[in-house]
Amino acid sequence: MAARPKIPFHWSFLLVAALIPLVELILPGEHHIGDLLRPIFIMALLGLGLNILTGFTGILNLGVAAFMAVGAYSYAILTCDIYPFRLGFWCATLVTVLVGLAVGFFLGLPTIRLRGDYLAIVTLAFGEIVEDVLKNLDSITKGTEGINPLPAPSVFGYQFRPETYQPWYYLFLGFLALVVLINRNLHRSRIGRAWISIREDELASSCMGINPMKAKLLAFALGAAQCSLAGALWASYLGSSGEPGNYDFQVSIIALCMVIVGGMGNIGGVLLGALVITGFNSIVLETLTDFLKAHQLISSSNVFTAPGNWKYMLYGLALILMMRFRPEGLLPSRQLKAELHHQEPPVPPAS
Amino acid sequence: MSILEISKLTVRFGGLTAVNSVSLDIPTNEIVSVIGPNGAGKTTLFNAVTGIHEPTSGTIRFDGRETRRPFRTSTALTLALVGLIAALSFILIVNIEPLWDATITSNYVYQQPFPWTKALSSAVGFFSGQTGGRLLLPFLIGGILGLAGALAIWFRNRYAPEVAARAGIARTFQNIRLFNQMSALDNVLLGMDSRLQTRFWHAALRLPLFWRERRDAEQRAMEILRFVRLDSEAHQLAENLAYGHQRRLEIARALAVQPRLLLLDEPAAGMNPAEARDLMNLIHEIRDRGITVLLIEHHMPVVMGISDRIAVLDHGEKIAEGTPAEVRSNVRVVEAYLGKDHEDAAAT
Amino acid sequence: MSGSQIFLQQLIIGLSNGMIIALIALGYTMVYGIIELINFAHGDLFMLGCFAGLTITGFLGLDQAEPGTSGTWFCLLLMLLLVPIFCGGLNWLVDRLAYRHLRESTKLAPLVSAIGVSFVFMNIGLLWGGVPMKVFGLGRAAAAPKAFPELVSNANLLGQSPVEFTGKDVMVLVVTLPLMLLLTWFVKRTREGKAMRAVAQDRLAAQLMGIPVDRVIGRTFLIGGALAGVASVVFAVYNNTIYFQMGYRAGIDAFTAAVLGGIGSLPGAVLGGVIIGLARAFCDQYLETRWTNVLVFAVLILVLVFRPSGLLGSRAKEKV
Repeated sequence: MAARPKIPFHWSFLLVAALIPLVELILPGEHHIGDLLRPIFIMALLGLGLNILTGFTGILNLGVAAFMAVGAYSYAILTCDIYPFRLGFWCATLVTVLVGLAVGFFLGLPTIRLRGDYLAIVTLAFGEIVEDVLKNLDSITKGTEGINPLPAPSVFGYQFRPETYQPWYYLFLGFLALVVLINRNLHRSRIGRAWISIREDELASSCMGINPMKAKLLAFALGAAQCSLAGALWASYLGSSGEPGNYDFQVSIIALCMVIVGGMGNIGGVLLGALVITGFNSIVLETLTDFLKAHQLISSSNVFTAPGNWKYMLYGLALILMMRFRPEGLLPSRQLKAELHHQEPPVPPAS
Repeated sequence: MSILEISKLTVRFGGLTAVNSVSLDIPTNEIVSVIGPNGAGKTTLFNAVTGIHEPTSGTIRFDGRETRRPFRTSTALTLALVGLIAALSFILIVNIEPLWDATITSNYVYQQPFPWTKALSSAVGFFSGQTGGRLLLPFLIGGILGLAGALAIWFRNRYAPEVAARAGIARTFQNIRLFNQMSALDNVLLGMDSRLQTRFWHAALRLPLFWRERRDAEQRAMEILRFVRLDSEAHQLAENLAYGHQRRLEIARALAVQPRLLLLDEPAAGMNPAEARDLMNLIHEIRDRGITVLLIEHHMPVVMGISDRIAVLDHGEKIAEGTPAEVRSNVRVVEAYLGKDHEDAAAT
Repeated sequence: MSGSQIFLQQLIIGLSNGMIIALIALGYTMVYGIIELINFAHGDLFMLGCFAGLTITGFLGLDQAEPGTSGTWFCLLLMLLLVPIFCGGLNWLVDRLAYRHLRESTKLAPLVSAIGVSFVFMNIGLLWGGVPMKVFGLGRAAAAPKAFPELVSNANLLGQSPVEFTGKDVMVLVVTLPLMLLLTWFVKRTREGKAMRAVAQDRLAAQLMGIPVDRVIGRTFLIGGALAGVASVVFAVYNNTIYFQMGYRAGIDAFTAAVLGGIGSLPGAVLGGVIIGLARAFCDQYLETRWTNVLVFAVLILVLVFRPSGLLGSRAKEKV
């Protein structure tokens, strides 16, 4: 095998992340960076779900937020005590993952044979449909109010509380580590090999006996399952299902940005992308907004001054610039880098 | 006994007839070459045999069977199941809100244990109270759409390359189509992948079956690489290999599919005489392993040197067929194609 | 209103909206036909055209206008001139800056770029809504929908009939029909149109014949964008409300229309647009408004499963 970096980025990321709360405990004073990192772990899960589809298999999915919404609402319905199910955290999460698998499978079934760009639009439309349906079935989903409150998880009898963030931190990090491990295992197996061959040359792949439809369907189902898991954890984190508008196109594009900016097909790249993009979204933007507000530089009547109003443009520009100058992402998988700076294969002399 | 029987095959793209009523029988364990000027339809013929193009008319039989998905009872059952699931989903979708109300909302008292059996009977009661419009109509619409859709998708994909590959037909490509960013070993392993039993949970959880199969597969892949004399480059990225080695890797990958019929599309293109001789030996060794070889080639020494039979295409039609000697002296062939290469061909 | 009158009313509404969708779909299908790219930003381009139209209206001081006065006709004509130029030019610029360098790249790269452009456009729309002009509510609530002044009268041309057929419906027909005929003539008869069709069929061959492929592609973006611009003026005047996220919905509708009619086929786009417009109108009336979007999605899936080449498209297979 060609030389690899000594420790893959994804493991170093997880290791450092595991140490942060401990470091915080040791340092004097109150620090809550860990608190702010929790959404990043969940969004990283979303990104990893998208990565299976787009990064490994090359299928552009513009509606992963819909899978996340399905996960969040399923979890909420299963755990909130306004409904009779009232499952515990682990049970509800497991069921939610299965629901995600099923949704991904059934969405994929009629659409998987479509060409890449058609499929992208279908996933886009699907994202909108799910949002619509969640809003419209308001006797079940409580429309724009969302389903709340949700009980906090309990692990081995210990009941989580909103005030102490550390157990949550390690719970989410644990899930992330598990998903990273599973994705890496899939990547380095015949499953991952089939996906990557489809991404690179679907025709040649099928001529070697790979059934692209089955492989893509699996990618769809597993990707959806992971995004649903992200949704379940998100709902647990919020203590609410959130409202349908929270799972809109913007979230899908943030996930896409994570994968594109971080590095398509590279698990560590997606983690980096999650850190950069979500970190920017949640931490940098908020801090900047607070700062400007404190110095009275933001006026509510001037739309141009609020940093939040420039978000879309930044994400859009990020995508455009990355595609133009560094399509393989910040941390490319060695496979993708060469693929995107593709050289024509040696041409035989005229025959 | 013919392993491949092509009978009056016609392949038309819109207004262009690429292959016109070509019939060809490939005897088992022979080396047959298909030659002809550029644009004669040779690659299209290959594409039809390997399931890339659906024949406009005519048949292709491999081992007596057509290379397309057979419609079996299991297929019919699966399609019916899809229709049923669609039908039931439609009923559920149409009735979801009132059903939820009748079953869950009306039976649930906040934080009290939920009477599941009562809810079940509420559900049954709800459905029996429904008129045809909310019960039978969605069932029929869903069922018909589901069944028809599944049928449409199935029929449209009857001819697919993976069907031919699993039946035992493998190929290489005119313009090398390796997986450039995978190693040589991975390319060959890909050829084997379709026959492995490891499922995604075995891989994800690294169960024993995964490790066992991987070890066996890597062993067999290395054997194949040794056979084509590329074992020293097993871990090189495919795109970093020399041109001639890439051609051999493509053959190795095709061999990994465990074919009984191997289609080689211009394998000698761009090779010097020494490489061409090595290739001829390799093809002989492949044939000695019991694999029938069908070859498209322009390199006349190779064609004349290894073929048991030659078929000549021109403008989509077969204009001659026979042993190398017969074809070489066929007037039509000489006119259409061998004209300027006549000296080279006669010299071998 | 009697049953047949309700039906007729929905027919009118459906046709008018359908023609608008058709115009947007035409832009989609032209660009797809020539470079096989779904321009995700097309719907948002349409949205920007609406904002541009509103700006023009504001500059002319017509935010409280009475329909039918001379100022409104002038405004309408000015918009129909300037907005297509704006949209066409913007579309051309985007191709030049974002897509041209990705012609030889993988299929994924231009798609992702287009999504990026879509997002940039959407943000521009958001910020535009905050411009301190009266028509934009003095920039107070940038994200809120903006009312578009009544430039064409709402008076029912059918007098006392419960079925409403207004000057707005006439405007839609008067603008869209000749434009479509003009487009058909252009594509079929002129040299430029033939060049476009050549590039769409076989880019390499067209290049070898001396056709300046990049320029032809650029002009296709220009024309497609201009069509979206016309659609935005017509839409804004017809529906009297615009908001910065409208491009998303319009884009999906128009894409469904283009696919339904057969992507790459101009008459197909028109047919598809009319069908989708009618489907929306009838669904709003006879089923429930909240399921209309689901219906359009269902139409998309059904077309892609049963007849992916669309109603008027040709079944072209990929040559290996």
